[in-house]
Amino acid sequence: MTDMTMNESLNGSMTESNAEVFFPDPLPGQERFVAPLDDTPLADVDSVNDEVPATSMWADAWKKLRRNPLFIISAVLAIFVILVALFPFLFTKQDPMACNLDNSLGAGTSGHPFGYDLQGCDVYSRVVYGTRTSVSIGILTTLLVTVFGGLIGAVAGFFGGWVDAILSRVTDIFFAIPMLLGAIVLLQMFRTSGSIWKIVFTLTLFGWVQMARITRSAVMEAKNLEFNTASTALGSSPVRNLFNHILPNSLAPIIVMATMSLGNYIVSEATLSFLGIGLPTSLVSWGGDISTAQSLLTTNPSVLFYPSAALAITVLAFIMMGDAVKDALDPKSKTV
Amino acid sequence: MRASQEKNMQAASQTNAQAKAQSEGPILEVKDLQVDFKADGHTVHAVRDSSFNVYPGQWVAIVGESGSGKSTSAMSVLGLLPGTGKVVGGSMKLHGRELVGLSASDYEQVRGSQIGLVPQDPMSNLNPVLRIGTQVKEALEANHMDVAREKRSQLAKQIASAETVTLKNSDDELFISAKDLPGLFAAAKSALEEIHAKNIDRTMEAFKAEWDVGSQTRWGVAKGLIKAGLDDEKAWSIAKQHVTGSDMNDRIAGLLSEAGLPDAATRARQYPHEFSGGMRQRALIAVGLASRPDLLIADEPTSALDVTVQKKILDHLHGLTDSLGTAVLFITHDLGLAAERAQHIVVMYKGRVVESGPSLEVLQHPQHPYTRRLVNAAPSLASQRIISAKEHGQDASKLMEHHTKGEGDLERSEHVITVEHLTKEFKLPRKKEMFKAVDDVSFSVKRGTTLAIVGESGSGKSTVANMVLHLLEPSSGRIYYEGKDLSGFNGQSLLDFRRHVQPVFQNPYGSLDPMYSIYRSIEEPLRIHGIGDRKSREQRVRELLDMVEMPESVMGRYPNELSGGQRQRIAIARAMALNPDVIICDEAVSALDVLVQDQVLRLLNDLQAERGLSYLFITHDLAVVRQIADEVVVMQHGRLVEHATTDEVFDHPKQQYTRDLLEAIPGGHLQLGLD
Repeated sequence: MTDMTMNESLNGSMTESNAEVFFPDPLPGQERFVAPLDDTPLADVDSVNDEVPATSMWADAWKKLRRNPLFIISAVLAIFVILVALFPFLFTKQDPMACNLDNSLGAGTSGHPFGYDLQGCDVYSRVVYGTRTSVSIGILTTLLVTVFGGLIGAVAGFFGGWVDAILSRVTDIFFAIPMLLGAIVLLQMFRTSGSIWKIVFTLTLFGWVQMARITRSAVMEAKNLEFNTASTALGSSPVRNLFNHILPNSLAPIIVMATMSLGNYIVSEATLSFLGIGLPTSLVSWGGDISTAQSLLTTNPSVLFYPSAALAITVLAFIMMGDAVKDALDPKSKTV
Repeated sequence: MRASQEKNMQAASQTNAQAKAQSEGPILEVKDLQVDFKADGHTVHAVRDSSFNVYPGQWVAIVGESGSGKSTSAMSVLGLLPGTGKVVGGSMKLHGRELVGLSASDYEQVRGSQIGLVPQDPMSNLNPVLRIGTQVKEALEANHMDVAREKRSQLAKQIASAETVTLKNSDDELFISAKDLPGLFAAAKSALEEIHAKNIDRTMEAFKAEWDVGSQTRWGVAKGLIKAGLDDEKAWSIAKQHVTGSDMNDRIAGLLSEAGLPDAATRARQYPHEFSGGMRQRALIAVGLASRPDLLIADEPTSALDVTVQKKILDHLHGLTDSLGTAVLFITHDLGLAAERAQHIVVMYKGRVVESGPSLEVLQHPQHPYTRRLVNAAPSLASQRIISAKEHGQDASKLMEHHTKGEGDLERSEHVITVEHLTKEFKLPRKKEMFKAVDDVSFSVKRGTTLAIVGESGSGKSTVANMVLHLLEPSSGRIYYEGKDLSGFNGQSLLDFRRHVQPVFQNPYGSLDPMYSIYRSIEEPLRIHGIGDRKSREQRVRELLDMVEMPESVMGRYPNELSGGQRQRIAIARAMALNPDVIICDEAVSALDVLVQDQVLRLLNDLQAERGLSYLFITHDLAVVRQIADEVVVMQHGRLVEHATTDEVFDHPKQQYTRDLLEAIPGGHLQLGLD
């Protein structure tokens, strides 16, 4: 009905009935008050505020990240580490494998700022070239874990029922195996192989469970949201819902998990190499270098210090980044 | 006749209260209150120059849409502003004592004992791991109300200067204890027999109802006995002998039964999850009133509840605060509800008070354009208007624009959706028997009309909607769309069905994917059904936005940037994308403010008139039904209890349940000045 008819019908009949309606005298401070219209101009009912720029959840998260000093520092560090991993030759002209026993445990000189290790190899160039091994193992493992664990978790969470029961039990079995212990046992069989893939696969095999669990719960939560029912009623198939609605809405915890665990995989690789069952000495890696330098802790700590510091800074950078991403994507801080 | 009597009584009680209030002065005086919030370095003025008074024993309502500053004003009085909120100006006086600038520990003295709160959401405001009784006890202990009056006065004498021991000036505060009760009954009965009183049995029945353990006082018992015919001396001697003060458990039970919980002593030992929403709200009322505050702030206490429960709870709260003399500051977005309950109304808009005054006067002569807008939008008032108009022989169809089709047309038009003997059973966990959510329901929706299914939560109405949408399989019974059986649909035929029958869901915050821009959301159905190319789809989205009166600029926005009403309009646009014949609205306007609700209902009415749509409209609110529906189906406990045209249901309800629902419409008894 239009405002016109409404007001007419209201006003028209009110005049007749005024006399019989009982109005008590208002108490002090409760007299009739009507604010002047100038003070509160009337806006349209439920009008859209066009002044505020449009933002998506991702844009919002990005805005939060850009303002977070923790993220800026960690991102700069991470980018630097990745650059070193991609183009180590830009940072040193020295070949990490060219060792001269004459230089054994030599102090730092110009061009060789970190000095030499027991074998007479340049520590600086070994740290630089070791980056590639560590970072590529970290990133590849994270990718594989995310794809493999994410897929299993998504399938379990989405289909539920017996599919979920079986997959969840399998996940539980793997969850019961400590990652390092399992990796040590498994890698014993491939001691001779010099490929980084053996480490990537081993870490993936024992690392996917956490990702599967997180994806499963995120998918189960997103599955029950009303917009899925809405899409089904629009004619969308369940599988289409999974890929178009449910997975995009479960991405946030998956991304957080991935960035946070990247650092862990780098540490695990270093640990395995340190234990001597990771990469062969023919491949330069921080873990291997830390392992060979451990006996020098009391006499020449600097040889141990540099690869350890590189490892610590890299891991710290990725874990801090994960923390910042978590803050930005945390569903609790979302304004919905 | 009855109405005029009531009016006189109301007037008389109002003048009495008036005189009392006048002599005591306002209990709460808020003047030029200013509240600011800081967000991202900006300052938001949430409340500006807001002023209002509350007198003892009075109900004052603050009315406004969400974001108008009504809750913020109330929370400032309690000193419980959330987050960065801060009172930056003005004054708030409680009994003449300035509240602005009060220290945290001083405020603790005020809260609970002088100002109580009944919060909005009964679901999240009770601690799930504590028994209900324990939570009432907490409220008593926090305000030093946990000892009997004698003990307290002794304490007070001992520590003469102790301010923490509050002595109330009200009458005797000795309550009946559970162990005294049988003796009291026996004494009362024998005393009555002694004086050969008439109707002893009936009097005793009345006493049984009145003498609640932990709630009825010695003074009340004595008064009741005197009224029954005993002389003062005898009555007081019985009262003194048998009302000796209750222990903590009795008092808790008393408070809960005052709040309207039956079998309160057992209930006190239960946990919140064993309570329904209405019962939780009653428990919260008991907590809020436990320490007998002079002022109770009720922040939308019933907006999360069904209308029938809302009415019961507000009726009860009204009676209780009247008998206790508690003033109530009542926050609501429904002007009809406010006018029905409060003597004084304060209308807020964008942080300012735009209009205030005696409630009937404001309602009947709204002067500020915003108040007029609210009066026009309130569904309770709108349906009231239709009734009044009809009684006065006015053309009601003018007020009910959707009634474009005459009755004759109705008879002839064909049925779009027919439901026959529909039943849905669910298996309850850990129980053998099946739960019948929907029990043998049959109805049909005629083309171009609206059928409303009305019922409380748990009546099975949404289950029916989901079955009609082919989202749930019925246990038995048939659903026909255009004469074709729904159970036979699969693949392409199901896709065709989906194209023609579209839903609009209740929760505007949940039914749009937060990751999808508005454009993608509206485009989705076109994509699913492979309609048009990119360009024609974009054109269609623009048309649809125009149809629901949203600017094209929202296409790039995301749901979290829009209000509930705007999202609901987007959901309607998405439902309209495929040019459906039937739209199933499942509580589509229940979560919205009255103004926005009115806007969405108008939109639905307009779309129906333009396109001949048929609606299946699920709601718990009969007031809304009057504005939109041609036919009404009333459901209770999964069964269909009444099915008739809207006019018939409103004018001649056949079932008691329907009458209860009609009674519960807030503002139903208000005189809008049309008679």
